[in-house]
Amino acid sequence: MPFPPINPNLSGPVLTQRIPCWPYADPKGRHIVSYEEYTRPGPHGAGYESLRKAIGMKPDAVTEEVKKSVLRGRGGAGFPTGLKWTFLPKLKTSEAGQEDDPGQRYLAINADESEPGTFKDRLLMDFDPHLMLEGIAICCYACRIKTAYIFIRGEYHHQAKVLENALREAYANGIFGGNGLLNGANTARGGAFKVDCYVHRGAGAYICGEETGLLEALEGKRGWPRIKPPFPAIKGLFGKPTIINNVETLAHLPSIIHHGAEWFMKQGKVSTFPNTPPSHGTKLMGVSGHVNRPGVFELELGITLRQLIEDPGLCAGMRNGKKFKGAIAGGISMGILGPDQMDAEMDFDIGRKNNVLGLGTACPTVFDEDTDMVAVARNIARFFKHESCGQCTPCREGSGWLYQLLTRIEGGDGRTKDLDLALEIATSMGSMPGTTICGLADGNNWAVRTIMNKYRSEFEKRVKPTSVAVKMTVGAGAR
Amino acid sequence: MPWISKNSAGNAVEKRAEPYLTPQMRSHLSQHIVPRYEQKMGALLPCLHEIQHAYGWIPGQAMLEIAEFLAIKPAEVIDTASFYEEYWLKRKGKHLVSVCRSIACEFCGQPGITQAVKDALGIDVGETTDDNEFTLIELECLGSCGSAPAILIDETLHENVKPEQIAGLLDAARKAGAHH
Ligand SMILES: Cc1cc2nc3c(=O)[nH]c(=O)nc-3n(C[C@H](O)[C@H](O)[C@H](O)COP(=O)(O)O)c2cc1C
Ligand code: SF4
Ligand code: FES
Repeated sequence: MPFPPINPNLSGPVLTQRIPCWPYADPKGRHIVSYEEYTRPGPHGAGYESLRKAIGMKPDAVTEEVKKSVLRGRGGAGFPTGLKWTFLPKLKTSEAGQEDDPGQRYLAINADESEPGTFKDRLLMDFDPHLMLEGIAICCYACRIKTAYIFIRGEYHHQAKVLENALREAYANGIFGGNGLLNGANTARGGAFKVDCYVHRGAGAYICGEETGLLEALEGKRGWPRIKPPFPAIKGLFGKPTIINNVETLAHLPSIIHHGAEWFMKQGKVSTFPNTPPSHGTKLMGVSGHVNRPGVFELELGITLRQLIEDPGLCAGMRNGKKFKGAIAGGISMGILGPDQMDAEMDFDIGRKNNVLGLGTACPTVFDEDTDMVAVARNIARFFKHESCGQCTPCREGSGWLYQLLTRIEGGDGRTKDLDLALEIATSMGSMPGTTICGLADGNNWAVRTIMNKYRSEFEKRVKPTSVAVKMTVGAGAR
Repeated sequence: MPWISKNSAGNAVEKRAEPYLTPQMRSHLSQHIVPRYEQKMGALLPCLHEIQHAYGWIPGQAMLEIAEFLAIKPAEVIDTASFYEEYWLKRKGKHLVSVCRSIACEFCGQPGITQAVKDALGIDVGETTDDNEFTLIELECLGSCGSAPAILIDETLHENVKPEQIAGLLDAARKAGAHH
């Protein structure tokens, strides 16, 4: 049966309109988009014209439009963006219509992208940095934020340079700094509104992608996540109200402002669950692993994993004609989609429908029939053991324990009881069971648990009955 | 507690006469970087990056200088510096070879890449060659999963790497000279 058309509600790409991606164009033609190129007219308006439109609106009207579109965060949690912005402290307006000074507030742009399997924000930063800069400016205006920090992971050396250059161009053209947004243009808020934007480089710690760990790193501290509440919108960076949004989330803002919320709401799909927010718009989906054509594709939410893998316009099938065995749902923290879950729809309901944690970053890593799922579980457990920040005992100790157990099972020295033990440890760690501060432990929990449950027989084949003596590899001698 | 070495408490910081945080660095940082942050300590990661980039590692003396420069405690600098993997508190080789070992890379050929580097350099993961030219490490996802396996040599990313390319890539890095 042929697949339905790709992106049925759109005539072309949105986020990747200037970045060639399959099925629209050959990625070979990619280049860094300059300020000059960015400001040329295009199907979603000329660059920085959405910012001009936004500052012609009252800030709350901009927030309202974003809220209406139900744009949901692209960083992993899928929280509705406009709603998050409304959690900032309310400002009073004088009789004359002049709004109170908002004081210092911050925007932290999450460009930490360190979730294994995820490489989508990088595409935007590699080639079209002004798109996210325009999104940043729009967000800052809507939220009355004067200072924005782009927190980019340390290993993205090249991307940090591209962003620094783009920022220089944006400053030189009066977008940031100077007299205010767009060369001090008058805003509907009254007067000019000045925003500064800086790049802040991380230094190799996955946990700084967690929003409060990120704030700690911006303050110069170790990236230990904070206990919430207070939420960052009330008390965030340096104790001031702070919004944290993902790169891709912000990159959606210019087109939403240009076309309006209704346009965005025509894409993607609504939820089939009652009282559940919809999955509107396109999403960057980065596919890696055993497919013919891995890469980043911009797709309307709701496309099936099967179409993503098999459509000749997208990944063009499994590598070497092998059979599909499973796929990490969207970054390793989300858990795995099993061999019978290829028809899973890639939208924000994926978790509830398929027994995974959620859509995550929508970047699946695909495995073929020859893959050793015990090794996959061990690889993932090693990641979490390595990246646990160490604050919470269940996460710090549990992650090390799981890794050692899985190493032992992989090496053929595990015992049947180890399987139950591993599942018990996994199940007991996380912010959802209520035993840890942040979601890193939930990721570990879901990844290990779903792999062990969906490929149970592979694990059983590797272990020895509990009565058989095995070599102990726990402690200093462990790998 | 075997992991606390006998002398650690009394270890003096190795000192040299010229500062690591040079006057040029200080003026660049205090003009352009420190003012970006509401509190001076916000500039700590940028300061550490500056030292790491210039020397390839972060000597104890440099941390003391940063503490004085930002008016914070040396313990605060060490607390932060020791948390982040990119900061080397011990000397490493002139070139750093970082092989991604995360999910997409491991299952798309990374073990062969690590092996090729080990063979070419005669060292294990975590070690430095005797001539101090190369240090080999494995790290987590580099954000190149769609073009796995990926390795970072100094600040340059190489994607879709094949074991037979390793010797050539290492040679090129050696010829390019020291680069932190
Ligand atoms: C352990 C952990 C790591 C995370 N890493 C990232 C990351 O690298 N990038 C990102 O955008 N969000 C990451 N998040 C999610 C952020 O905490 C936060 O939800 C997100 O940045 C909010 O932006 P959004 O609403 O625009 O998605 C991570 C969360 C956790 C618990
Ligand atoms: S859950 Fe793990 S990573 Fe998160 S704060 Fe606790 S110890 Fe740190
Ligand atoms: S898994 Fe190696 S680059 Fe992502």
